[in-house]
Amino acid sequence: MIRVILRRLISLPFVVLSITIITFMVGYLAPGDPILSMMGSRRDPDTYERLRHLYGLDQPWYDQYVDYASGLLQGDLGLSYRYQGRPVLDLIGSGVLVSVQLGLAALTLSLSIGIPVGLWSALRQNSFVDRAGMTAMLTLYAVPSFVLIPIFRWINYQFYTRGLPSLPQAGWGRPEHWIMPVIVLAAASMGYIARLTRVSMLEVLKEDYLRTAQAKGLRNRRIRWIHAFRNALIPIVTVISPSIAFLVTGTFVVETLFSIPGIGYLSVQSISQRDYPVIQSTTVILAVAVLFMNLVTDLLYMLLDPRIRVEG
Amino acid sequence: MSDSTSNLTPSPETRLTSIRPGMGQTHLPPFVRRLMTNRLAVVSLIVVILLVLIATLGPAIYTASPITPDYKAINQVPTAEHLLGTDNLGRDTLARLIYGLRVSLIVAFYVELLNISLGATLGLLAGYFGGLLDVIVTRIADILFAFPGLLLAILVAATFGPAVTEQFGGIGRLLLVTGSLSLVSWPLMARLVRSQTLTLKEQEFVTAARSLGASDRRIMLTYILPNVAGIILVSSTLDIASVVVNEAVLSLLGLGIQPPDPSIGKMITDATPFLDANPLQVFFPSFALMLIVLGVSFVGDGLRDATDPQSLH
Repeated sequence: MIRVILRRLISLPFVVLSITIITFMVGYLAPGDPILSMMGSRRDPDTYERLRHLYGLDQPWYDQYVDYASGLLQGDLGLSYRYQGRPVLDLIGSGVLVSVQLGLAALTLSLSIGIPVGLWSALRQNSFVDRAGMTAMLTLYAVPSFVLIPIFRWINYQFYTRGLPSLPQAGWGRPEHWIMPVIVLAAASMGYIARLTRVSMLEVLKEDYLRTAQAKGLRNRRIRWIHAFRNALIPIVTVISPSIAFLVTGTFVVETLFSIPGIGYLSVQSISQRDYPVIQSTTVILAVAVLFMNLVTDLLYMLLDPRIRVEG
Repeated sequence: MSDSTSNLTPSPETRLTSIRPGMGQTHLPPFVRRLMTNRLAVVSLIVVILLVLIATLGPAIYTASPITPDYKAINQVPTAEHLLGTDNLGRDTLARLIYGLRVSLIVAFYVELLNISLGATLGLLAGYFGGLLDVIVTRIADILFAFPGLLLAILVAATFGPAVTEQFGGIGRLLLVTGSLSLVSWPLMARLVRSQTLTLKEQEFVTAARSLGASDRRIMLTYILPNVAGIILVSSTLDIASVVVNEAVLSLLGLGIQPPDPSIGKMITDATPFLDANPLQVFFPSFALMLIVLGVSFVGDGLRDATDPQSLH
């Protein structure tokens, strides 16, 4: 087990390095002169040189990369093109917290609904509950977020016109602003988790040791919750990684469509103003965050399942 | 987003029907015959073909302009003049839908073409030859996998978008969307084909061919390729569903097809604020999108069962 962890930990810096190199290259290869477009019509050679130096663009690409990477290590994401000399971190720092909160809320919701629904379906295999639950979960999984949003909004609007309690259409700040975005963001991973939980539980229910437990006369409840559920949970841990990947793309869509000031929304805004360092920083932040989350998930997986520890 | 629609398992009914013996006398390949017995897949295939026909022949039959606004007729419900009504700028929804469908399908087609010509080829070569080539291909794929979801596609489309539009216009933008979407989807294809090739090249029939003096090229083309063709076909069909959704996402974020050109994703989100006035403007593009996504997924599932009868058990 230690060997596996070590191998992961050793490869981690290289993956992070590759992520920063790719992100840097995309930014470096971006066509056009950012300084010229920053200056607009005021073409003053002195200012031009000064800004080029400030942004480090007068250096060869390898020096630029070293500056960029060492800046990242110190939490410096570089400077904005749109707001002269302003650090990118100033622009998106507040968004990071919002996105993290939104993402964690969505992940919690999808786990706390997906797992019970999956278990219930597995225990009542082929019953009406199973079919209805799985159809609902498949729908949530298959319908993209930008189609779910108008559906929810329409339902919400029907509540509103009938004078029933309804939710705000968009915005951020009050607790009720959370409800629709979190549900939409959680939908895809919820469906995915529920379906996987069901499969995993059905798989475990077929195991010999459960028949043995039954033969020994253990109570059904004990068999289900102590013997089956704990083993079924192990593979479920692995779905957390793909769920987080769903959340990342979902963040962009949900934040943009609900006008939530997270990093997804802020970087989409910055794109229309051609402030590329912002989307670059967002990419690095999200990719590295997901990388660490995946590492933690894998470690958790190994901790939970002694069989993997031995094989590793 | 629905990144792995491949998880859609067929219902028990379709599993049973596809085991039934084939249609008999005709000389169709066995997997086509097996596919024909899968009712859901056949219906979905017909729907997909119809959508393709609408996208290709539509503009010739339905000549309304998809981009000319008519401020006297905004947010209309379907009328004889505008068969599916109009949007918030009075543009004809059916015409926009046809062009949007066209964009979705063109992007999906070229992304899969790139996936097959780049991803599958590299996967095959890497799996077969191993060594340095394998290390390079798997490393590149691993690095691209490190970017979750659409993140890399968003970055590339955002950074190169404006310049590409200035230089090459709408076509350039279409190509950029295609390129950035295949950037995030070819690694999976390469990985699948590589792992399948690794298993195949150890099989006895390959050893037999080699001992008879077959060249590497011949072994790859006549012995291995036919055996990975099924995987390539199935996974690229299933991938179309996620490409269509991803194109919609890029466009609604403002990184894909640029207004006033229509894209299904943008149509849905543009019509959302006018839901109370005219919910149909959201419904039609959403319905078209789900039709493609589900149709393609069911065809893909059917193909998987038809090319690999073992997966039925």
